[in-house]
Amino acid sequence: MSFKKILKRNEFYIVIIIIALSLIIQAKSGQFFTENNLVDLARSLIVPGMMASGLFMVIASGNIDVSFPYTAMLCMFGVTKLFQTIDYQGPVAAGFLLAAVIGAFLGLINGILAAWLKLPTLIITLGTCTIYLGFTQGVLKSSVISVLPTPLADMAATNLFSVRNAVTNLGSSMPISIFLLIGALLLVGFIMKYTMLGRGIYAVGGDPVAAERVGFNVKAIRIFVFTFCGMMGGITGLTQVTLSGMCQINFFDGYEMTIIAAVVLGGASIAGGSGSVIGTFLGVLLMKLISNNLILLGIPTNWSKLMTGVLIIAGVCISSYKAVAAERKITSNILDSKSGKEAAHE
Amino acid sequence: MSEILLEVKEISKHFGGVKALDRVGLTMKKGEIHCLMGENGCGKSTLIKIISGFYTPDAGEIYFDGKTYSSLNINQAIQLGIQVIYQDMSIFPNLTVAENIAMNYELYNKKKLVNWKTVEKIASQSLKHIGIELPLQETVGNLSVADKQLIAIARSILYNSRLIIMDEPTSALTRREVDKLFKVIRQLQSEGISILFVSHKLDEVFEIADYFTVFRNGKLITSQPAKGITNEQFVYYMTGRKIEEDYFQADHSDQDKTLFKVENLRLNNGFENINFEIHPGEILGITGLLGSGRTELAKTLFGMYQADGGKIFIEDQEVVIKSPVDALKLKIAYVPEDRLTEGLFLTQSIEKNMIISHIDSLRKKNKTLDFDRGISDSRKWVESLGIKLHELKDSIQTLSGGNQQKVVLGKWLETEPKVLILNGPTVGVDIGAKYDIHNYLRKLADEKKMAILLISDDISEVLMNCNRILIIKSGRITGEYKNTDLDSSKLQALITEEEGGKAV
Amino acid sequence: MNNAAANKTGILERIRRDNNNVKLVIMMILCLLVLAAATGGKSATPNQLQLIAYLFPEMGVLALGMMLAMVSGGIDLTVIAVADLSGILSCMVMKELMPPEANLAIQLLVLLITLIFALAVGAVCGIFTGTLIARIGIPAMVATLGASDIILGIAVGITNGSAVKELPPILNQVVNARLFGAVPSTTIIFAICAAIVAFILNKTALGFKIYMIGSNKAASKYSGMNNEKIYTLTYMISGMLASVSGLLMCGHFNSARSDFGKAYLTPAILICVLAGVNPNGGRGKVSGVVLAVIILQMLSSGFALFQNISDYYKNLIWGLVLILVMIVNVTSERRKVWKG
Repeated sequence: MSFKKILKRNEFYIVIIIIALSLIIQAKSGQFFTENNLVDLARSLIVPGMMASGLFMVIASGNIDVSFPYTAMLCMFGVTKLFQTIDYQGPVAAGFLLAAVIGAFLGLINGILAAWLKLPTLIITLGTCTIYLGFTQGVLKSSVISVLPTPLADMAATNLFSVRNAVTNLGSSMPISIFLLIGALLLVGFIMKYTMLGRGIYAVGGDPVAAERVGFNVKAIRIFVFTFCGMMGGITGLTQVTLSGMCQINFFDGYEMTIIAAVVLGGASIAGGSGSVIGTFLGVLLMKLISNNLILLGIPTNWSKLMTGVLIIAGVCISSYKAVAAERKITSNILDSKSGKEAAHE
Repeated sequence: MSEILLEVKEISKHFGGVKALDRVGLTMKKGEIHCLMGENGCGKSTLIKIISGFYTPDAGEIYFDGKTYSSLNINQAIQLGIQVIYQDMSIFPNLTVAENIAMNYELYNKKKLVNWKTVEKIASQSLKHIGIELPLQETVGNLSVADKQLIAIARSILYNSRLIIMDEPTSALTRREVDKLFKVIRQLQSEGISILFVSHKLDEVFEIADYFTVFRNGKLITSQPAKGITNEQFVYYMTGRKIEEDYFQADHSDQDKTLFKVENLRLNNGFENINFEIHPGEILGITGLLGSGRTELAKTLFGMYQADGGKIFIEDQEVVIKSPVDALKLKIAYVPEDRLTEGLFLTQSIEKNMIISHIDSLRKKNKTLDFDRGISDSRKWVESLGIKLHELKDSIQTLSGGNQQKVVLGKWLETEPKVLILNGPTVGVDIGAKYDIHNYLRKLADEKKMAILLISDDISEVLMNCNRILIIKSGRITGEYKNTDLDSSKLQALITEEEGGKAV
Repeated sequence: MNNAAANKTGILERIRRDNNNVKLVIMMILCLLVLAAATGGKSATPNQLQLIAYLFPEMGVLALGMMLAMVSGGIDLTVIAVADLSGILSCMVMKELMPPEANLAIQLLVLLITLIFALAVGAVCGIFTGTLIARIGIPAMVATLGASDIILGIAVGITNGSAVKELPPILNQVVNARLFGAVPSTTIIFAICAAIVAFILNKTALGFKIYMIGSNKAASKYSGMNNEKIYTLTYMISGMLASVSGLLMCGHFNSARSDFGKAYLTPAILICVLAGVNPNGGRGKVSGVVLAVIILQMLSSGFALFQNISDYYKNLIWGLVLILVMIVNVTSERRKVWKG
């Protein structure tokens, strides 16, 4: 890829901002490029990163989903409670599988409604997310589970490696669920780039009518992205349990906003048809970098919500304004159309 | 060569109460170039959508390559080798050239995975096949309309194409690009692929088609070999009448006054050096190909774009038009090109569509709206323009294209404009309404002494209704003619000939 | 001739055109019947009914703002944040201004100033959101999502997430007051807001333009309308309504917090969808919103009768009703289209 092309890419600029921010944090605290801080950062990326990878697909297809944090919540409580009730002692993988299946089912409901009703998916998923929340609180009667069933507790206690900061004597350990994040990113990256399904998602996001004419099954694609996002939500819910060693109803409060912000920051247009999994990951990284280091950056933690909002708006401002400005300008050059085109062809 | 590939029999299709197709038929042989013709709204597009499986016909059957179907679905049609290049080309602006081209091949072969090397290979082969070169990695959104057209063709010829349907492929092209396209079409023909070519231009039939079929108002009018047809016959087939509109002659009594004047108007990338003036009671025509800058000019005069240089005068007063709000205040009216997306509020009533532009003048002293006056204003235009409707409260969607267009016109006339700009005012309008609109414009010029700017690519429309005609090409005005000095073939030649020709 | 025909079919015609409202009235009657059957004649204790009666006017006022945004073809997710922020700010102002041991007249005067201040906060927030949408061109959903975080972020930042307490009692007294001993003052405030919004939508040029812009914003621009101004005003009014709702909430809870409104977003959208407001813009009536609020209030009263149903089920039921209403609306709409 030529340098010029790299310059055009959104990801390039996010990387630059990330590097600049890390340098600022390092300069201010001297603690950024330390082993434990980096491990902490990686650890904090797992849950939002997995959610974002699922949501990215939905956004690329020109839809939106605000229900995934509630899917995660429901799966988290559902699976943990089930394990508790039956006193499950088997491999933890079964739990993740179950969470994935429940999550996928909840996503499937979103997908079917979206494909069938053709109403704004924001309103549809707002409706379903309230159902999922009500189900968790009402039917599962859940708010906190502090003692985990053995398989989950074991996983929570297992780490890949631990590091200790010699200066501050703070320790951090890398959970094995980092592999889940890596797996999710690779899977989404693969689907979006190397399968017809992924290209179909971009096509539907770009122009749904054209996609149908060309022969994509637009409804199936819509259903798939929501199902996948739900599945990611389910897995993420259980992952969060193993990270924090407990279940709490407010784990994912406000996540819908933060994750949407991250995906949009990562270069995916909310109108659909664009973005990449790398960009999405970088968007999450940037968000976390800021929210983990607010104090170092001189922002009191109380104002972190404000920061999320500013980031969302800043992230979409430039591209939106460009589009508005473009409406008032001619994009293709009529005046030199002849000479320009011939030159390009020959 | 004589084997029949496609035969459409007795096909009918209704939309709501409107009969879009009424027992029409069409027969095509293998390797034939067939021209499907007719005015806008005659049912051409509906038939295409039925053949490509987008619509299900109400009645009739489709024979294709040895089998008879009562209807097709999209995938079935693609599997049979029927490819359609729609006017909007169904191209994905967010994807690359290579991917856009290779997409059909991959879908056709029910590929699950994408091999980017194969994609590129297929795309470059396909482009080579039709003798075109394009940057494979470029995002399609950055390319010109003509290039998109070529991409759509390159995409459609991949693998197993038996029939390629092209919906008005030449409307956006310059003469040289049309030649290039025709070369590609002949090459496809030589490979035994049949081409259904939808058009409303006669010279194209003469040039490329073996056979042609004319539809009018959803009915089959004729289907015959293209050789030997005369212009008069053709017009008769298309319109159903020997239209003898006389040439419009402006009343020159106000020739010394200038109502609307444009000086050195320039829009970056769009047009430059635009100079013209319109006297009261004149209808000035501007015509050119799609992409010649005619629409951009119209939109600039209405404030949708902001000019980058030059001056505009109304009654010798220099004016600044920054937005349509300014234009409305300055008594400039604009009947837009795309009625459905730019002109009408489809989910609203006829009445609301009629009063939107002068809504502020319906305010009573207490700031509330005087809907009674709105209704009486609307009635006035319904009568005067001869709009056929059931009730003013009905949805605008219940009206025919022609009546809808009259509503858009009426909405603007209520604002009592001094300058009336019309961009393709009779696109998709039936012949009767078209004639009405033309007559009304003449009346407005003669009686109200309005300055009318008629921008259109309908040659006879411009020729008959404009007393002066400007030709625009690549954003520059290349000539000014009196309508009485021209005939349609002369005008056609002036529009399509390349720069460097005699007009420059 | 046209006139005569119109008069003759007038009433029937209007019912036909208003079939969503007819549907709502039927639903209302059904609710009443079911409620009556469930209670078996013995009526619910007045206390239960009253408690719920307060909450719905607040939601209804929020829904009116949401409705305006939806009619204009957008959505306003900031209503909650605006309600919270203007509630917090105006409660702080009220506390500052209220002299100790003031007489009733002065108390009411301070309350009035507080209301004006709240409206101003709402208007500023709305103009901010409207500007993002109209001038910068951010899609309404993302713009209001982001703006909502910014506005709520300010509220959280100012209060550290804790409540503004020890409010002057007058706010709570007014909100809990009953006119003529029966009609809660909140209901009256909702009625006033509904009347104002109905007036704007049906009688003024702005209202007309809001419907039209929601129907087709490009055509609106091509008709010489000032789209930027229309959007900005729409979101400004929505913000002002949200601030009224915020003040009501503060009076209700007798304190102000940055998370009071949280549970109100889905019900507010539910009210709009139930009211027949088209999420794609251009359609929606205040009368529908009022009916929807009444129906939801009755449903809610119904829940209160069954004390064994946990409060948490409410979310479940609101969500289910929202989805069901959308399904019913869409399928009945499609049937209409098929019929031609």
